[in-house]
Amino acid sequence: MTLVTSTNESPVSRRQVLKSAGAGFGYLALAGLLGQQSARAQQAGAVNQPSPVQPKPPHFPAKAKRIIFLFMEGAMSQMDTFEYKARLQAEDGKPGPGGGTLVASKFQFAQHGQTGSWVSELYPNVARHVDKFCFLRGLHTDTPAHPQAVIQLHTGTALAQLTRPSMGAWLLYGLGTENQDLPGYITINPPANFGGTVNYGSAFLPAYYQGTKIGDRGQLPNLAASQPAQLQRRQIDLIQAMNRDLAAKPGAPEQLEGVIQSYELAFRMQSKVPDLLDISKEPQAVQEAYGVKPGPAGSFARQCLMARRLTEAGVRFVEVCQNGWDHHNNLHNGLIANAKATDQPIAALLNDLDQRGLLDETLVLFGSEFGRMPTAQGADGRDHNITGYPMILAGAGVKPGFSYGATDEYGLHAVEGRMHTNDLHATLLALLGLDHEQLTYRYGGRDFRLTDVAGRVVQEIFS
Amino acid sequence: MSRLLRALLLGLAACATANEAAAQEESGPIEFFEKKIRPLLATNCYNCHSAFNNSMGGLRVDDRHGLLTGGNRGPAIVPGQPEKSRLIAAVRHPEQGLKMPPNKKLTDAEIADLEKWIADGAPWPEVKLPESIGSRAAEYEQLKKTHWSWQPLSAVAIPAVQQVDWPRSDIDKFVLQKLEAANLQPVTDAKPLALIRRVTFDLTGLPPSPEEIDEFVEDEAPNALEKLVDRLLASKSFGERWGRHWLDVARFGESTGSARNLPYPHAWRYRDWVIDAVNNDKPYHQFLREQIAGDLLPANSPREKANQLIATGFLAIGVKDVNQRFKVRYIMDNVDEQIDVVTRGILGLSASCARCHDHKFDPIPTHDYYALAGIFRSTDLCAGLRNKMGGGGLDYYDSELLIPLSDSAVDTDADADAKIAKLQEELKVAVAEFQALRNSPEGDVKTADGRPKRMVARLKTEKIRADINALNDPAARGPVAMGVRDAVAVADTEIRVRGEAEKLGPVVPRGFLSVLTLPDQSAVNKKQSGRLELADWLTHPQNPLTSRVIVNRIWQHLLGRGIVGSVDNFGVTGDVPTHPELLDYLAARFIREGWSIKKLVREIVLSRTYALSSAETPAHRTADPGNRLLWRHTPRRLDAEEIRDAILATGGTLDRARPTGSPIQKYPVIELRNNGPQARSIANQAQSSRHRSVYLPLLRTLTPRALDVFDPAEQGFVSGSRDTTTVAPQALYLLNDPFILEQAHKLADRVLQRQDLDEHHRVVWAYRLALGRTPATPEVSRALTYLNETVGAQRQLLAAAEPGASAKPAATVAANSTDETAQGTTANAPTGNGTTGATPAPPPATPTGGAATAAPRPAPARPAPTVPVNPDDPVPEDDAPVEKSHQPTDPRVAAWVSFCQALLGSAEFRYLR
Repeated sequence: MTLVTSTNESPVSRRQVLKSAGAGFGYLALAGLLGQQSARAQQAGAVNQPSPVQPKPPHFPAKAKRIIFLFMEGAMSQMDTFEYKARLQAEDGKPGPGGGTLVASKFQFAQHGQTGSWVSELYPNVARHVDKFCFLRGLHTDTPAHPQAVIQLHTGTALAQLTRPSMGAWLLYGLGTENQDLPGYITINPPANFGGTVNYGSAFLPAYYQGTKIGDRGQLPNLAASQPAQLQRRQIDLIQAMNRDLAAKPGAPEQLEGVIQSYELAFRMQSKVPDLLDISKEPQAVQEAYGVKPGPAGSFARQCLMARRLTEAGVRFVEVCQNGWDHHNNLHNGLIANAKATDQPIAALLNDLDQRGLLDETLVLFGSEFGRMPTAQGADGRDHNITGYPMILAGAGVKPGFSYGATDEYGLHAVEGRMHTNDLHATLLALLGLDHEQLTYRYGGRDFRLTDVAGRVVQEIFS
Repeated sequence: MSRLLRALLLGLAACATANEAAAQEESGPIEFFEKKIRPLLATNCYNCHSAFNNSMGGLRVDDRHGLLTGGNRGPAIVPGQPEKSRLIAAVRHPEQGLKMPPNKKLTDAEIADLEKWIADGAPWPEVKLPESIGSRAAEYEQLKKTHWSWQPLSAVAIPAVQQVDWPRSDIDKFVLQKLEAANLQPVTDAKPLALIRRVTFDLTGLPPSPEEIDEFVEDEAPNALEKLVDRLLASKSFGERWGRHWLDVARFGESTGSARNLPYPHAWRYRDWVIDAVNNDKPYHQFLREQIAGDLLPANSPREKANQLIATGFLAIGVKDVNQRFKVRYIMDNVDEQIDVVTRGILGLSASCARCHDHKFDPIPTHDYYALAGIFRSTDLCAGLRNKMGGGGLDYYDSELLIPLSDSAVDTDADADAKIAKLQEELKVAVAEFQALRNSPEGDVKTADGRPKRMVARLKTEKIRADINALNDPAARGPVAMGVRDAVAVADTEIRVRGEAEKLGPVVPRGFLSVLTLPDQSAVNKKQSGRLELADWLTHPQNPLTSRVIVNRIWQHLLGRGIVGSVDNFGVTGDVPTHPELLDYLAARFIREGWSIKKLVREIVLSRTYALSSAETPAHRTADPGNRLLWRHTPRRLDAEEIRDAILATGGTLDRARPTGSPIQKYPVIELRNNGPQARSIANQAQSSRHRSVYLPLLRTLTPRALDVFDPAEQGFVSGSRDTTTVAPQALYLLNDPFILEQAHKLADRVLQRQDLDEHHRVVWAYRLALGRTPATPEVSRALTYLNETVGAQRQLLAAAEPGASAKPAATVAANSTDETAQGTTANAPTGNGTTGATPAPPPATPTGGAATAAPRPAPARPAPTVPVNPDDPVPEDDAPVEKSHQPTDPRVAAWVSFCQALLGSAEFRYLR
């Protein structure tokens, strides 16, 4: 195993590197422009270092190149969708093993595919893809409250004392990104609460590893260049020269490297991204397959189609979000509405990725911050359950038609193949070719990891 | 039964005895209800009036509370009085009026059963509290004793330090003591140039002018900084910056947000009140008292009363889901929102977690939550709104729920009354017509203009309602505010089992959080809502949270991080203070000094700690990378508002006057769809405004673009701290947004106007205006080279463009014909992918000078349309906003614009060291 990611670069040395790093190809134009006047610029001329998000080799051969995360914010009820529990269905109204009153799903379950995986009637289209799925059925996490759990799912820990980098930021840090003209990490329609930007932030990692947020209609303003490219390049070079001057001063802001990278990326994005986010460019049949339509009802379909386009273009980590799964009440109608919004788009995405050969390189992760209880909450609700819930993987690197782990007969506690959030993260990193124990970043005198001091790679699910 | 629950029930005895006794006696009536009444309701009414099917007219009959609250027509039953119950009237199928069920009359026996049930008091089986409620009592008692934040302020001694010469104030001694203990030296002091820039932005949100900088840097008086700070504290810009900090906490927004986004036309009054209060240094306890209970406080003048009423807007401006089917849920959701803003905003406690269950981490039982809920349940939320499922047009507007601000508004116009009476008659007819068409195939028949008859009938009712509202509307007759007032009926409220609004548990006496039981705290006045006593409790000098939380917020805004990092969470899951003694010292001092925010800000910015440079060493960074111990001043990026304001100030175009009101105020309370013409118009007004950013229209989910990319406050909930992201969309904004291009042009004009300067000194002047400093010689040379080369490049481009006859102004394009501000503005030319790559398009050319850069001023002469929209129409997709081109045609001007834009886009412009 080779160690390619620096584990011991101090922030000071990062800054020293920065002073001389320049900003990729922009530097040469700058050097010409200034006639080598600045001593600092001369120093920069000696080292024309690549962008920090250039692709980097993984620690070991990767099974997947990219991730699409279909995040079901609020905790989807697994009891009504993908976790069929015969005993729960039979004991409707009886006392639950951990207290409360068991409530069977009101939705019909049936077995699908060669594998005979159970899926409820809420997901008729997704059900056609069950043989591609690798179910993780024994997940558990630490905090039964959304803010902490959403943050933990995205950053590995919910400790308020120190915000940690998000998993997309860790992936960019470890692997860089394939397409230098696009952000390597894009999050579409992320929730504003439950940590908000923390969930796609870079915390103490440099700011250029942050996720870029895009609205669910592909909104990303100001992509149209305001002037011809040569003139703009010249102007950016001047801005970058000023930024590097600032970087050399004592007490320069830590985000300066991020600012410099943000200009380089912005320059390149102008030519690529407008087309990429314009899903109206897709053939009508494709749009229809996803169920694209205007308004909130078409949000998730649009997100999924954008996700495919971005993935195809080489974005390392794309997250899309369907919110509103927190069904303490209105479970029945709420599930129907949310499943309706997500079933067709997810099925279409899997189909589309498959047909384009992208599913061989792309890992799809589908799930929530935790699950819900087999017992009733009120007349029509289920409370949070952190002790046993599923997520679904599909695509590159994982066994298709496979199921790992299980909860008890009621779906309350994970009893087999238990996976903590840290284990999930360790496994995802491993699928992308990264050793979660080696992917470290030194901050404040200690090495930090996405998995903190825990994490087990669940090799059993590897294809 | 747990001890707490038992105690709770004993505590309730006074109010609950009657209920409990009744419940025990009523096994007969309950049985009658279960055998006769519930099946009758289920069979005949649930299809249209229950939680899981429908709630026509806003009514549900599957729970007692739903019947008591009733639907749009008012309560359905009055327990004990069948003759006053609408339900009984309707089931009797009278000649005139509502008949229920509509297609089938109940039998006489069934009607008699209903009458008997109501006469007996409409008994309903009681809902049991889950056993988990109250089960954490012992744990809570322990937590109450141990967690730091709700212990009384400790009397702290000023610490002794080794380096006695270093501290300038007591604050410094607390900081230095920790540094010495960690073997860290504070770094050097900031240079005057950095200091004036820092303190001017921190206190006013604006950059210092070159003249102000010179004055300070050259002032060698020992009290130079004090003079500067006092000038800044006295400027009205202070309130505009620090008022904005409070607006973040108060989750200020000018619309409901949520599924149906309706404007709050009067929210701006609260915004202005906050700014004025901060500028007047209204003592913080008074500031809070007016926001919680301004309507209940004595006033010396009508003007003071009006201001107190406006202050209660704090409780009214939150997110609301008006598209809520059930009134009781709408009410309880709003109560929850109020509890959240009060407890999290003022106390740093997340009491709203206790709505459904006892708080999982902090000692806040559900009981306490409903003690507070009773206070807000006894309060009318006057946001001018009511709930309705699937409403459209003015359905959600309720002008009775507004607060008139002067008596002159009450003088009724006899003529208007007659008109209203006439319209009421017309409305009855129109409603009947619509009801007849509503569920009949006839409704689908198209009229001459192709619209279904049903729609035409509905629009007619809307039109009449709108006319009545307009005549009745206090907002049309005089100034009104959003806010609260005591309800006509004030009462304690019931615990809602698992937070479900309809599931009533035992009644809880109104009160406050037991985690803070204060000596001599006032008990709720039974004749009022209890907000006055809530305000007393919140501002009680021995309430340890109120002072700690605000002092910590102020510290955060000046030092970059709170002494408690989690500024909105002082509970068990929050951070612990880095300097607990300092926090208590500041809190005690704050109270002692009359709760004066200005005095506290002054004390902090005059400390040596505040005035440290931002320099660092590897040793410091290794020992304490987060600067928790305050060995330096942490650099910060300017906030979204500061960036925009600084750009305007640099361009010389900032309008420092306060605008009158808000662009939102002229909009009717009709859903603003994300990309509808009204939302677009408001966005365009924001884009063309030259006022300070705090005055921009702040519709929820429609944040002005100039703010949106730089992490503005989340308007949905209390947000005491802002994020600072660093992403490519920010660079795109600074490179391409028409606002930036225009302001760069303004700055270039400002510099080029200096005929007295040579090119070298114009560069110096541009640096001074934009970055507040004189550039070093290599920087000037670099700039001059840039200008020269860019002039050449621009000239070539223009020459290349010449034969193509593209020197005409870009065509005037209205983005949407319904847009109110489209006229007279020009569209930004780039279309499609906007790429310039290998085949650069000539720049869109417009004449340079004043005409080209004059800010497009919106002139919405006509009122916004009041024709209702069908809420179920699809939301249109984004249209490109109307923009102006700011490409100058003179190569030299163009080069200067480009250079000035680079200054505005440099990191130095938006970071403070």
